[in-house]
Amino acid sequence: MNPFAWPAGIHCAVFVSVNFDAEVFDLKSTTEDRLYGRFSYGRYGVRAGLPRLLKLLERRGIAATAFVTASDAIRHPDAVRALRDAGHEIASRGSDLTPLPALGERERDALLHGRDALARITGEAPRGFRAAGGEFGPQSLRLLAELGFTYDSSFQDDDHPYLIAPTASTRLAELPTVQALDDSLPFSARHTHARVMKIWREEFDALYREGCLVPLTLHLRGDIGSTRAARIAALEGLLSHIADQPGVRFMTGAQIAAMTLASGMIAEGDPVAPHQATLSVTPYRGDLAVKPI
Amino acid sequence: MTSRTQLPPDLRCAVTLGVDFDGPSHEVGRGIAPLGTHSWGRYSARCGIPRHIEMLNRQNVPCTFFVPGYDAQCHPDTVRAIDAAGFEVAAHGYLHEAWDLGAEEETKLLHKTDDILRQLIGKPVQGWRSPSGRKTANTMHVLKSMGYVYDSSDKDYDLPYRLRFGSGKDDCIVELPNNTYSLDDFPFFKFSYTPPSEVLAQWKSEFDAIYASDRFMVLTVHPRSGWGSGTPARTRIFEQAIAYMKEHSGVRFFSSAQFARWCLDNPRHLEEVSAS
Repeated sequence: MNPFAWPAGIHCAVFVSVNFDAEVFDLKSTTEDRLYGRFSYGRYGVRAGLPRLLKLLERRGIAATAFVTASDAIRHPDAVRALRDAGHEIASRGSDLTPLPALGERERDALLHGRDALARITGEAPRGFRAAGGEFGPQSLRLLAELGFTYDSSFQDDDHPYLIAPTASTRLAELPTVQALDDSLPFSARHTHARVMKIWREEFDALYREGCLVPLTLHLRGDIGSTRAARIAALEGLLSHIADQPGVRFMTGAQIAAMTLASGMIAEGDPVAPHQATLSVTPYRGDLAVKPI
Repeated sequence: MTSRTQLPPDLRCAVTLGVDFDGPSHEVGRGIAPLGTHSWGRYSARCGIPRHIEMLNRQNVPCTFFVPGYDAQCHPDTVRAIDAAGFEVAAHGYLHEAWDLGAEEETKLLHKTDDILRQLIGKPVQGWRSPSGRKTANTMHVLKSMGYVYDSSDKDYDLPYRLRFGSGKDDCIVELPNNTYSLDDFPFFKFSYTPPSEVLAQWKSEFDAIYASDRFMVLTVHPRSGWGSGTPARTRIFEQAIAYMKEHSGVRFFSSAQFARWCLDNPRHLEEVSAS
């Protein structure tokens, strides 16, 4: 079992993260010259959503972590600086939303571009990373460590942070996320915000009871994100409930990663290594064995 | 002509609980490295199984853990811990094969997983549940040849029955049908994103109807994260469902093997159904 323990005074850390995913998300379906109409929900996130979210976080006194692609950051440097100036952490989401395994030999350059584009805008290299679609190639963790990242937040395999050693001499903190606490999936299924908040409250209460990491994953977008006025209001109700619980501490990814790296816990080896032999003789069969009719 | 299965009046309601381990085998078997979002299966051994064992001990009910052979190789200590806690370890494919296999390969893999599990727990494996529900005319012959007493994969009935798969005197195996549409966790967490409390209400409603009619309940969860139930909120509703069933008079919990043995000991209560 993961031996991680919160420092004295903290019963449960809440990690509010924001997947920026503006036009870069729409560009998975269209081209730069057609970012209108149905392909403008990303722009909504920057124009209308971000100011509203920033106000909410300020009211609640919460420092969040925004994961931003180079593509969106270059398009919206002022938005990135506004997040930073409000005390939020800027972390990387890669160059664009192309899944890392699809990049082949371009993967290192893409990760480097993702890092440096943010560094040029904020004056500081990002420490955290979250993969597009949660997809990693076999070399991704090693590349992240080599490029100076100190943590990743893309896995969904534990209730607490832990350490990975992609190579013998490198360390990455892993801040696992929780699928049920990602707004984009239920909103993509067109659930109401009341229903999503019902899920989140139940999930939070149970995680809190056990002192687990509570990773909330928000999106800025106007479609599958949480920044419409009614959704922000619903979210504020939940954040208020969370803040009312004794021992809750809102923390950024970088803060949790620093705590994890300083914990003295033993780093685990490359998660792929034990499976490499089997994977090398197993064909790709797609990731959905069961589909709705 | 055998009559329909009918549980005797002194067995008011039988419940079998199943936890389908579904560790990294689920992704690795599909050619996907267990990284990032695809690390849900890693959660099973790290968090989900220990949490389920603790909860089941607290509720003091038996349970069957259906384990893919590959996951057992990856996490032998977890499988030994399941067995040491007194729960049944049963077979669930090797790489969670959710695709069609030829008879030769299927036979090989059924034996491979059986060898792995038997060596880990030091006793015979008694049952099998198909990963994804696929099985063939060959499968039951192989299970029987390995000494298995039950299969829990078919979806065609609400009660156990004796499945006849050949003309020989012993060409029978106990079938404990399951329901992966509403007495399972993944449909609600993979497809409909249903709040845990509503899934609990659904399972209670299913139980109420079963308690009033067929009196045989098979509930299945997965200890992984993502669409599984290893996480705190979902383990909690699994526990609340168990507690709810326990409140009803005459409810008896069995491991799948215990209940299959009951079926063997009470043959006149079981319908015999021919596979072909």
